[in-house]
Amino acid sequence: MEGWVIRCRRTFLLAGILLLPGSRMPGQVLTVSGNPAALNITTAVAGSQPTAVSNNSTTYTVLVVLSSHITAQLGSNTPVGVTLTINLAAPTGATSAGPVALDATARNVVNNITNVLPQTRSITYQLSALASAGVISSRMATVTLTVVTGP
Amino acid sequence: MKAGPFSGALGALIIGTACIAGAQTQTVTYSVTAINVIAFLGSPSVSVTTATAGSQPTSNTDASTGTWAVTTNQTGSKISGSIASAMPTGLTLSADLAAPSGATSAGFLALGTVAVDLVTGITKLAQGSLAASYKLDATAAAGVVSSATKVVTYTITGGT
Repeated sequence: MEGWVIRCRRTFLLAGILLLPGSRMPGQVLTVSGNPAALNITTAVAGSQPTAVSNNSTTYTVLVVLSSHITAQLGSNTPVGVTLTINLAAPTGATSAGPVALDATARNVVNNITNVLPQTRSITYQLSALASAGVISSRMATVTLTVVTGP
Repeated sequence: MKAGPFSGALGALIIGTACIAGAQTQTVTYSVTAINVIAFLGSPSVSVTTATAGSQPTSNTDASTGTWAVTTNQTGSKISGSIASAMPTGLTLSADLAAPSGATSAGFLALGTVAVDLVTGITKLAQGSLAASYKLDATAAAGVVSSATKVVTYTITGGT
């Protein structure tokens, strides 16, 4: 009887977690805190490529039922010579892929996510550009973060 | 082992979530502005100390002390050089900047208070360790000139 009660409590806890606001699909919850401030490259050290800039002001929150990973991809590729990287700090027990250059292909950015309780971690973007990329007027990139079941 | 009434539901829920993905998006706004920067290293020194009999004093060149570097992400940037005050009569200080890849150096050009274009056609590159050479010419009429210092001002002008 006692074991049954414990199992029931676990079930209600899990059900509650799965119904958290922001969950796009039952069983996995992923939210982001908003959009980062604009990344603008404006200077360089003479003789070197333009100085990269970064932003770590946003966060993501994730919880899963089954071991999962997060992928990131852009809606369209950045201009030639311009690189936008993303680096998601890993929840406890998971593994971050470190800085990952974003393009139109889904790339694994965090692996082996197993936390069933929500954890919030930082998202860091870095923009770098070669001098050969020239001047790039302001543009917007849509980054899609997806939780996928599987380590 | 006796299963509770919620165990089956939980099992179905977990099975149902396998391979299901949740997604969120962020919008990242970015830009790269026009960048034109140069740097010069070293303190070159030139002294006229001799002559061939019957000729004007022999010019002296320092081609090994100074270097320069450039980064531009524009097309057709150029470097000009000038000095704040004119050289004494009979003395000519000239500068020659080695051209980075794809650009054109004007070779030695006399420096004056009006800027002269030393390198043109600098396009979308980052390059350093380029030679900056200086030459001092003197006529016999200039006489003996004691050591003096001139500050050469280089300016990069962005292209398009």
